[in-house]
Amino acid sequence: MTRTPWLLIAAPMALLLVFFVVPNVLLLSTSFLKSEAQQLTSELTLENYAFLFTKPIYLWAFARTFIVGASVGLLTVLLGFPLAYFLVRTRSPWKGVLIALCLAPLLASVVVRTYGWYIILNRFGVANDVLLALGITSERIAFMPSTGAIIIGLAHALLPYTVLTIMGSLNGINPNLEQAAMSLGASRTRTFLHVVLPLSVPGIAGGFILAFSIAISAYATPAILGGPATQVMATAIYGFMTQLLDWSIGAALAVVLIVSSLLLLYAASRLGARQAAL
Amino acid sequence: MTQTMRTKRRELLKRGAALAVAAPYVITARSQETLIVNTQGGEYQELVEKVVIQPFEKKFGVKVIHDATGTASQDYAKIRAARGAPGFDVAGLLTPPEVMLGVKEGLLEKLTEREVPNLRHLWDKTWQVIPAGSGAPHTLQYAALVYNKDKLDRPRSWADYWEPQKKYGDKVKGHVINYNPANLLSVYALIHAAQLGKGGVENMEPAWQRLKAQKPYVGVVVTGSAEAVPHFENGQVWISPYWSARSGYYIDRGLPFEMIIPAEGVIGLLDVACVPVGAKNKKLAYEFLNWRLDPAVQRAWALAYFSSPTRPGVELPAKFAASQIVTQEQIAKTQFPDSETIGARRKDWTLKWQEIMA
Repeated sequence: MTRTPWLLIAAPMALLLVFFVVPNVLLLSTSFLKSEAQQLTSELTLENYAFLFTKPIYLWAFARTFIVGASVGLLTVLLGFPLAYFLVRTRSPWKGVLIALCLAPLLASVVVRTYGWYIILNRFGVANDVLLALGITSERIAFMPSTGAIIIGLAHALLPYTVLTIMGSLNGINPNLEQAAMSLGASRTRTFLHVVLPLSVPGIAGGFILAFSIAISAYATPAILGGPATQVMATAIYGFMTQLLDWSIGAALAVVLIVSSLLLLYAASRLGARQAAL
Repeated sequence: MTQTMRTKRRELLKRGAALAVAAPYVITARSQETLIVNTQGGEYQELVEKVVIQPFEKKFGVKVIHDATGTASQDYAKIRAARGAPGFDVAGLLTPPEVMLGVKEGLLEKLTEREVPNLRHLWDKTWQVIPAGSGAPHTLQYAALVYNKDKLDRPRSWADYWEPQKKYGDKVKGHVINYNPANLLSVYALIHAAQLGKGGVENMEPAWQRLKAQKPYVGVVVTGSAEAVPHFENGQVWISPYWSARSGYYIDRGLPFEMIIPAEGVIGLLDVACVPVGAKNKKLAYEFLNWRLDPAVQRAWALAYFSSPTRPGVELPAKFAASQIVTQEQIAKTQFPDSETIGARRKDWTLKWQEIMA
């Protein structure tokens, strides 16, 4: 009997070991190997990390990645919370349809959705046409490639995930708690701020972490809306691995991304857990 | 048990055993009839299937699975990651820098005229561009200069692209395209920029000065050549370095562009088909490489893809040949920069390019 749980987790653990731990160990070891003229050598070095941490362009790519992740997390929570609250509390007979509509963007590929933003934001796109037609601007503005365009594209793509996560948390709040607070004289705002919001913190933290972690590892949207001159870590890794064929620096970049995002996610989940406990 | 039943059972066992022994050979024989060829997507996919792959299938009675994914460097990254067994038998579209790397890393089969007899007919200069027997160069093209003839006057020099304001003024602002050096097209254009300032592969400083000067006029920055096409079509890009083959293809289909050979000349590009060392069906892969170099196939492909044959003596219509590299004199004039140097310095050039364009 005592062996059963071990047997049950043996297969997924073996799978994780083979397809997650081993590749990451290989990645880590590659990051300490020297590359000469695009070829990996067996010489151990710290040069790859020194290269990354002394070139402003890659420090910027690193900073941009986490700025994008945090901004997308924040934006999706700010936009997603009211939407999730409405979808959970509404008594409309169309509730099911509204939820389906909210999740509908997930049916389209992220590339298709991102190209939608490309059509809107490029120098000769819809946004510039509207601004010029209304006389708000006198010349065309380069909205993209830019970090802002990447944030907008990713926030749009990841909003449904945050809405779903927050909805799960709001659904778990007993509506009687709100009625009890109001019956004791609390206003709607006070009830929301002191009852609903604190109880939905795990959902908010979960939604933020989900959007943040997907955003920092996203490739397609930054590649399309940021282009080759506005790099994030994922596009830089892709460039080193498949275009410049310099696997040492590509591996070092990947290690930096994995370690820093794990640390940040750990900190965020600790913070979320502490807030939930309060 | 009757005698008949015993005989039947014995017969059945015999046949079963024979089938079991023969099965691997039957499967091998079948798998030998299938060749997996990697090239690229877009307009290339349709053309190569129609002009090269389908006639090859018909002639040899085999099935070709066409893997139309990836660029040259991405395909080589697959070969490297799979240690020479990327799942395709022919890497159909590598460029000289990947071929050089493949030879150094021992991941590409060495070819001789025994396996690919048509290798002996290639231009002599071929083996100065890539190591002898490292692959079968099947397409010759060059980095040309293209411009929107409805919007701009005809450019004459690479300087008209690198310093567009001097020829076209402010109207060209936002209508110039620039490419990431991860694309060989960008590397070649940068070499031309360096040469304009008396530099070259060994001294790229003049190129960086020109890139800085051009930046305010750049409206589109992409990596892949195919990514540029929508910008040509929607009128956003008016002037660009571009591969001659693709330029010819799109201009023929109504793109309001014209392709020119600037006064300073052009840099040539060989598209090379190679066999990874771990390819499953090498024999058929060699047949395919030989087929690509067959004069009739070379002619059909050149006409379809607006490119030049990689061997002399392929008859082409005079009007078509006028924009191609078809004579000994033309091939001697075409620059082919040292791919090993390009490979070794590409990372630094890309970093410099990113610092300027960021």
